[in-house]
Amino acid sequence: DLLQWPQISKCRSPEMETFSCFWTAGNFYNLTVPRILQLLYKKSNEEDWKECPDYITSGQNSCYFNASYTSVWTPYCVQLASRNEVYDKKCFSVDEIVLPDPPVHLNWTLLNTSQTGIHGDIQVRWDPPPTADVRKGWITLEYELQYKEVNETKWKELKPRLSTVVPLYSLKTARDYEIRIRSRQRTSEKFGEFSEILYVSFSQIGIGCDHCTDEVEFPWFFVVVFGVCGLAVTVISIMLSKQPRLKMLIFPPVPVPKIKGIDPDLLKKGKLDEVNSILACHDYKMQLYSDDLWVEFIELDIEDPDEKNRASDTDRLLSEEHLKSHSCLGAKDDDSGRASCCEPDIPETDFSASDTCDATSDSEQFKKATEKEEDLLCLDRQYNDESLPSLANTDLQRWHRNTQSENSPLWAPFGDSVESPHPSVHTQISNQNSLASTDFYAQVSDITPAGRVVLSPGQKSKLGRAQREGCTEQNFTMDNTYFCEADVKKCIAVTTHEENEPHVQDQGYNEDGYFTTESLTTTVANLGASTAAPPSSEMPVADYTSIHIVQSPQGLVLNATALPVPDKEFNVSCGYVSTDQLNKIMP
Amino acid sequence: MSTKGASLKGLLLVALLVSHMLLTKEGVTSMPICPNGSGNCQLSLEELFDRAVKLSHYIHFLSSEMFNEFDERYAQGRGFIAKAVNSCHTASLTTPEDKEQAQQIHHEDLLNLILGVLRSWNDPLIHLASEVQRIKEAPETILWKAVEIEEQNKRLLEGMEKIVGRVQSGDVENDIYTLWEGLPSLQLADEDSRLFAFYNLLHCLRRDSHKIDNYLKVLKCRLIHDNNC
Repeated sequence: DLLQWPQISKCRSPEMETFSCFWTAGNFYNLTVPRILQLLYKKSNEEDWKECPDYITSGQNSCYFNASYTSVWTPYCVQLASRNEVYDKKCFSVDEIVLPDPPVHLNWTLLNTSQTGIHGDIQVRWDPPPTADVRKGWITLEYELQYKEVNETKWKELKPRLSTVVPLYSLKTARDYEIRIRSRQRTSEKFGEFSEILYVSFSQIGIGCDHCTDEVEFPWFFVVVFGVCGLAVTVISIMLSKQPRLKMLIFPPVPVPKIKGIDPDLLKKGKLDEVNSILACHDYKMQLYSDDLWVEFIELDIEDPDEKNRASDTDRLLSEEHLKSHSCLGAKDDDSGRASCCEPDIPETDFSASDTCDATSDSEQFKKATEKEEDLLCLDRQYNDESLPSLANTDLQRWHRNTQSENSPLWAPFGDSVESPHPSVHTQISNQNSLASTDFYAQVSDITPAGRVVLSPGQKSKLGRAQREGCTEQNFTMDNTYFCEADVKKCIAVTTHEENEPHVQDQGYNEDGYFTTESLTTTVANLGASTAAPPSSEMPVADYTSIHIVQSPQGLVLNATALPVPDKEFNVSCGYVSTDQLNKIMP
Repeated sequence: MSTKGASLKGLLLVALLVSHMLLTKEGVTSMPICPNGSGNCQLSLEELFDRAVKLSHYIHFLSSEMFNEFDERYAQGRGFIAKAVNSCHTASLTTPEDKEQAQQIHHEDLLNLILGVLRSWNDPLIHLASEVQRIKEAPETILWKAVEIEEQNKRLLEGMEKIVGRVQSGDVENDIYTLWEGLPSLQLADEDSRLFAFYNLLHCLRRDSHKIDNYLKVLKCRLIHDNNC
């Protein structure tokens, strides 16, 4: 056993009028007489140690100081000693060691019960400890109430308060409760002892509950259901916000009136020729822009006379229905189910029937290769999943194939993609790229998904191609619309200017994808000039030539309005050839 | 721009103040001084005592906490407690030391004593607030409490003077006062000695604030509630 010295365990004042000190004797077996231990005390302003005035009142091993010995705010020191040996010492002042007695006379009354009788409110009252002189204000106490159900282990605490009356709400009438209270001086931290336990039983006062088993328990079911619903809503909203495809799936986009491939600005600015060309064959659909699945298109039914109520020049352009419909000839129709123009099965006889000019020869020429030729104005709708440049590429490739297959120097459509694999371009072209007046005709080779129109960069490329591919043959089968006399002449002298190709490729693709015919024509004119026997290239080309007739899938015969006088040499920069000139040139 | 905004704000503030004054018909928050014997004051004696008790309780609460914090932080292991049979500078004032004495003293004398103690603490509190900042790494809470106690003590002094003016008949004798001479000890070079001086001062502050709180409660119960709180 460890030797334990006598110790002063605590000193306590219950009411700030008296105080007591308690000690433990330890296991000093040498002390046979208990009172050998002495408690000496001293006030701060005194010199001598005095002995404890009362060893009895507070019990064994205690010293009681009554009111006459107690000065509240005076520092005391006590020490536990026997004979000459001091075992322990403590210094304090009485106001620091106040620990009140427990409250007394606890009782409760019923305030009210709930309508179902399951819960009830009670009010608990008590009296302050009798020793504390609260009435005179000498000591101010605050109380803490604790309660619990009889079979529980953990006490619930209320906040300390000054009043001696406390209501308790929502107690279950079916259960019995225990209540206990303790007090402390208001400015202290330590509480005194607990009071006796008060038992609360509702049945004693006759308030039972007949159907107490109907206690509403925690509504787990509803909590789970609502929690799951909320979670599902959250998940769905998250998914919808992050996955546009999923969002499209659940909320498919409502088709907006939009014409695919047409930038609305086009209509506003009045670039109607491009618009017209687009409108003429409007069945290029999703095959072309497969990555833009969700852009809806509306087919224009150009047959519908109402749709002609547009701008005047649009009307003019669109006035000849069969022109449009014919312009789409030759286009392959997969299955798109469009109900508009571009029907593949327009009989050839229609061409001849509609020709007003000496079209018979033309029609014969244009009859060929209806399926194989790409149409001038329409984008080939065989192009699936190809981007813009590749579209042009395939276009060009097809053209090449066609040319090769037919052994005819087909005149490429006036506009061709810049990225054609075999462009033959000349340096002069680079100088000519300018977005000039939009009144020029130019063939639309493609339309960007943004709605911009890509015009073929130039006859030059085609020119070169024509030169390279089928230039040896002299027969112009007129499968294509226009051609240049210069090119015809150059077919003999094939000059490939392939080294200049990249220039055009780079610069041919204008910002807007436009090539004006002027630029192209001038380049072609220059091309003509650079090669052998250049025809005189001063001949201005007409800015504007109306379509005379559409003779074939690729044929547009233009009116000869602005074309140079036939008696001049046909050297033209290559845009258009009138039928007269055509006839003149051709053998 | 900023001056314009500031002047605008000032104008708004003045407008609000004036409107508040006109609407509530109360002046500024401080209690009006009641002339002796006149019943024209707006606050009753009960109200004054209530406020005084609240203030004194608050001051004691702050002092107690401040002492505990200081004790915890600086006094551990230095044996201050053993030496703290200290004498406060207010020990020369004869104040009731137990309930008997408190009940026997006349309320006017007790009020004057309270006033005397409060006045005696005015000076030490000012120096405490300033000197405690020089303690090395003094916690912010101690600094704040020192300042707060000094402010509240001033307010309590004002309130007590009002109460004394109301309760007292005749002239107020205000010669109860003890001078505090402990400033040099707070400025000692030796840190240990300096901290011990602080410890003593805070200990005295806690005790005296408890005394004043108790006296006021006794007076309140005696004068207002007729010994039946």
